[in-house]
Amino acid sequence: MTKVIEIPAHLDDRSFEQFAAGFGAWPPEGKLLFDARGAQWASPYGLIGMLTAGQALAEARRDRPLFAVPASAEVKSYWSRIGFFRHAADLFELHGKVPKATASGPSDALLDVTPVRAMEDVHEVVNRISETAARILRAELGLERTATGRFSMALSEACQNIVEHAGTGGWVAAQTYTFRRRLGRRVAVIAVSDAGIGFRRSLESTHAKRFGERWGDGAALEAALIQNVSRFRDPGRGQGFRQIKPFLDKWEGKISIRSGTARLAIVPAWDEDAPLSEHLPFFPGAQVQITIPAPDAEPR
Amino acid sequence: MIETIRIGMLLRETAATPYRNLITRPTGAAVRDRIEAALAESDCLTALLDFSDIELIDYSCADEVVAKLLLAATDPGGPVVVLQGLREDQHEAIEQVLIHHGLAVIAVSCADGASMPQLIGWATSDVREAFGCLCERGALRSLHLSRMLGWSESRAQDALRALLERRLVRSDGEIFLPITIA
Repeated sequence: MTKVIEIPAHLDDRSFEQFAAGFGAWPPEGKLLFDARGAQWASPYGLIGMLTAGQALAEARRDRPLFAVPASAEVKSYWSRIGFFRHAADLFELHGKVPKATASGPSDALLDVTPVRAMEDVHEVVNRISETAARILRAELGLERTATGRFSMALSEACQNIVEHAGTGGWVAAQTYTFRRRLGRRVAVIAVSDAGIGFRRSLESTHAKRFGERWGDGAALEAALIQNVSRFRDPGRGQGFRQIKPFLDKWEGKISIRSGTARLAIVPAWDEDAPLSEHLPFFPGAQVQITIPAPDAEPR
Repeated sequence: MIETIRIGMLLRETAATPYRNLITRPTGAAVRDRIEAALAESDCLTALLDFSDIELIDYSCADEVVAKLLLAATDPGGPVVVLQGLREDQHEAIEQVLIHHGLAVIAVSCADGASMPQLIGWATSDVREAFGCLCERGALRSLHLSRMLGWSESRAQDALRALLERRLVRSDGEIFLPITIA
C-alpha cells in the first residue's frame, strides 16, 4: 500500500512539521507518494526539506518514492527554475509534467537548490552567491556591502557544518521574498539541510555524559548553538554558529536549527517562534534556516 | 626588515582557484602552511599579511589562518605578524575569532596616506591604552608611560609587559618600542 505524504500548500519552516509528521516512524516502510499537487508556494527550507527526505529514504534503501508535481503551472515553473526538479528527478519518480529549467527562464534566486557534499561544494556555493548576492541584497533589502559579506560567511559556516558533521551530503538554497505574515518586509533566507546523523549523534560521544538524562535532540542543539560545543577537541571549533550571532543581532536576523525531534531558534523581536520546541515528529539530519530582514527604516 | 605576504596570491596558488574567498578549514590550513613556510625561510622582523586581494574571510578560515598562526608563533625571536588591507567584515571575523582564543594582533589600516596600527582581538583597556600611547609617542619606558597616563609605574609596567608577551611591541632593555610596520 502506498502511503501519501501530503505537501502543505505553503511549505515553510512552520508547516514543515506537518510534512515531517506524515512519515510516522522513520524510516517509513512501504511505498511513499509525496503529493505536491496542491502546493502553491514553498520556501527554500521547504524545497530542500523535501529533497532531504528523498535522500534519506534512498540512503535507508527504501523504495524510490513517487512525487506528484504541483498542479499550478506557475509553481512548477518556479520549482523548475530554482533547480528543485533537476535534483528531485534523481531521488523521486516524478509524476506530472515538469517544465525544463531552461524553458522556464533564469532563476531570480539568490542561490538555486545546490547539493553540498564536500568542501569544494562550499567554495562553489559561496563563490556563486558572492557574484549575485551583493547586488540583490543591496537592491532588494538595502543591505550594505559589509552585511552581504557576513551573509556569505553565515552561508559558508552553515554549509561546512554539513560536510564536517552530517556524515552524508546535503542541500542549500537561498532566496529573497516578502515575509508578509509575521514581518511585512523583504527578507533574505538561507536554508541548509542534510540527511545525516543529526546533532545528537554527532555530539553524543563527547558531550552526552555532561547532560546526563537531559541528553537528547534538544540538549544537543542547545550545546551546539548556545554553548558552542563541537565534537572536535580543537578549541577553535564549534564557533561557526556563535560567530553568526552578532551578525543576526545587528540585523534583527533569526536562526533556527532543527535536528531529529527538536528545533532551537534565536528569535528576534519581530517573530513569535518558540526558542526551543521538543517532541516534534522525527526528521532525519539537520535543517538550518537563517533569515535576514530588510532594515525597518533607513538602510544600515 | 619587513616582509609582505600577499594572502590572495597564496590562496590562488594553494587552492588553484580564481576566486578570492578565503573560506573553509582545509583551505585555511593550507594557506597557513604556506605562510609558515615563507616565514621559516625569512629573516624578517615583521611579517605583513596583506589581505587586500581577499574578498571574503569566514570564521573557520580566520581561525585556521590567523588564530592558529599566532598560537604556533612561540619563537620570541621570530617575526611579528601584522595584518593589513582588512575590510570591516573581515576585521570583525578575525577579531571575534581572536577574542575567543584570548589572542590579539596588530592590524594596519591606511588613513590619509598614513599607516595606522590598531589592536584587534582580546586586550584589556590598559593594554589598548598603552599600545595607543606607544604607537603615538614611539619608544618609551614604563616610567614615561605612567606619567603620561597618570598611572602607577607598576600598572604601566604590567600593560607594557602584557604587550611584550603577546609580541605586540618590542623591547630593548627597559625601553619598549612599537613594531616596525613601514
